[in-house]
Amino acid sequence: MPRLKKSYHIKARDFIGAGEASINVQNLLKSMDFDPRLIRRVAICGYEGEMNVVMHGGDGTMSIELDDKRLTLEISDDGPGIEDIALAMQAGYSTANDEHRRMGFGAGMGLPNMKKNSDRIQIESQKNNGTVVRMLFMIPEKGETD
Amino acid sequence: LSKKLTSTCFVRFEKELCAGRGTCLPVCPTKAIRIKNKKAIRIVEQCIGCGECIRICRERAVSAATEGPEVLNDDHIAIALVSPVLYAQFPGVMPKYVLLGLRQMGFQHTIDMSYFLEMFQCATEEFISRNRASGQAPWPLISPICPVVVRLIAFKFPNLLPNVLPVLRPVALMAREVKRRLIPEYLAQNRKVVLYYINPCPTKKDPACLPAGKQPAPTEIALGINDIYPQLIKHVDQIRAADAIPFYQSRFEYETCATGNASLWAMSGGEIADMDIDRSLAVSGMDETIQYLEKIELGLFQDIEYIEFRTCREGCLGGVLNATDKYLAKSAVQKMVKRFGLGRRLHRENILRLYKKGEFQSDKDPSKLTTLFGARKKALSIDAMQKIEKVLQMIKGTDCTACGAPDCRTFAEDVVRGEAELNKCVYIVNK
Repeated sequence: MPRLKKSYHIKARDFIGAGEASINVQNLLKSMDFDPRLIRRVAICGYEGEMNVVMHGGDGTMSIELDDKRLTLEISDDGPGIEDIALAMQAGYSTANDEHRRMGFGAGMGLPNMKKNSDRIQIESQKNNGTVVRMLFMIPEKGETD
Repeated sequence: LSKKLTSTCFVRFEKELCAGRGTCLPVCPTKAIRIKNKKAIRIVEQCIGCGECIRICRERAVSAATEGPEVLNDDHIAIALVSPVLYAQFPGVMPKYVLLGLRQMGFQHTIDMSYFLEMFQCATEEFISRNRASGQAPWPLISPICPVVVRLIAFKFPNLLPNVLPVLRPVALMAREVKRRLIPEYLAQNRKVVLYYINPCPTKKDPACLPAGKQPAPTEIALGINDIYPQLIKHVDQIRAADAIPFYQSRFEYETCATGNASLWAMSGGEIADMDIDRSLAVSGMDETIQYLEKIELGLFQDIEYIEFRTCREGCLGGVLNATDKYLAKSAVQKMVKRFGLGRRLHRENILRLYKKGEFQSDKDPSKLTTLFGARKKALSIDAMQKIEKVLQMIKGTDCTACGAPDCRTFAEDVVRGEAELNKCVYIVNK
C-alpha cells in the first residue's frame, strides 16, 4: 500500500507564525483527493496541537503519515511535559498564563477539541520529558460518504 | 495576432516583448504561468485576474484584456460606470470635474457609484445584524467587493464560499439601475447602448472569451483607468482652466455627485470604516489575503463578523491599471474625505424596504463559482504524492525557475503529471 510521510517544524513561542505547520498539512491534503470535512478535522486538531506546542512546549514537530485507509497526525515537543494527562483532557482545564489569555488562548479546550475531532487520540508525556500527541483518522472509502 | 498573444479572459501576453526572465512566475497566486521556449505562456483556466503579472513585468509584455478609448465613437450611446478610484487619480480635483471630463471625452452619461456603495453598506449592515440572530451564514463573513478575492476563494479555498457575503456588489446594483431606467429609453429609440466599466484592475472579463450566445446585452466593455487617463486629464485640466464650467444635462442625481463616504472605498479599510459593524477587519495585499484565508480555513477569526479583503496592497487604489502612484492617490482620498465628511445621503428606511423585497440578495450560487475553473487539475493520489517527494529529493529545491515553473514543488508536480520533463531542471542536467 502506498504510504506518505511528511514532517514540519514548530517553533517555540512564535505566536505570529503559529499555524504554519497546520496550514502546510492542510495544503498537502487539499492537493489530494480527500473529503473536505476530514481535512477540516485534521486541520483543527493540527492547529490546537500546534498552539499547545507554541505556548507550552518548546520546539516541536508535526508529522503526518497516511495511506489509503488511515491518517496519523503526530505532534511532539521537548517541553515541560504534562503532569496529569487525565486532568489535562478535561474541558476547561488550562495551564495558560496571563500572556496567553490576553491573546485569546487558554480556554482549556485544546486537548478536548483534539479528542472530539479525531477518531483516536493517544498522549505520551512525562514531567520535564516532552509530550507526544498522536491522533488517528480513518479515511472513508470512496463513495462511502456521499 | 494569435501567434503573438497568449491570453486568458483577463490578461494578454505579448510574446515578442517577453524577455523570458520569468519574474511573473512566482508572483502568480494560482501558479498559472509557465515559461516555454523562453516566452511566458499561461495555463488559462487558473487565471483569477489579479494582475500581479502585469505589475511585475518590466518589459510590459503582459497587459489587461481591456479596451482603449478608441472604442468610443458616434454610433452608440456610451455610459460610463465610475468607481471612486478614478477620482483618487486626480489629487486636488473635485470629482465633478472628472465626470465632466468624461462627458467631454464622449460619454453621454457618467454614473457615480456613491449611491450604490451606500446601498450596499446598508444592506450589509442589515444582513449582519440579522445573521447575529439567524446564524444563516458562518462567521467571519467575507466581503464580496473584490472579485479577485472571490475567485481566489473559489479556486483555492472552496470551503470558504459560504462565508462570502451574499449581497449584490455595488457595481452590480449600479449596472442594474442603469439597465432598468436609462437603457430602455434608448433601446426604444433604436439606439445602440454600450456600458463602459472604468476599472483599476484587469478583473472584468474580456467579452470575446465568453462562450457564443453569452454576450451580455447591452454590450459591456471594460476600460482600464490608465487607458483613458492621458485623454481624460487633458479635458479635466481644460475644464479647470476655463472661465465657465461646461453644462451638461443630467437626469438622475447619481450622474453627478460623489461623497466623502464613497471616496474612502478606494483605499484599504474604506469599506468598513463607516459601517455599523462591531468587529471587522480590513486586510490588503495578495500575500496577506492568502495567509488570512488559510487561517480562516483553520477555524480562526470566528469572533470577527466581517473581513474586507483586497488583493492589491492599500486597496483598489493599488490596482495595477491605475495612473497615479497609490500613496499619492491615498493622500488625495484622505483630503477628499476631510473636505466632504462622512455623512450618508440615502434614507435607511427606504433601503431597508428594498432589502425586505430581496433587492440586494445575490442569487448567485457560490458553489457554481468553482466551475469557473473548468479544467481543474485532477487531485493527486498518495502514489503521485510519493513520486513528487522523490523528484523533490533529486532536484535542488532553490526555486530558481530556470525550468519555467514557478517553484520546485510545482515543477515536480508538473513532471509527475507528465506536463514537464525532468531534464528541464538545471541541477539535474549539470549533476
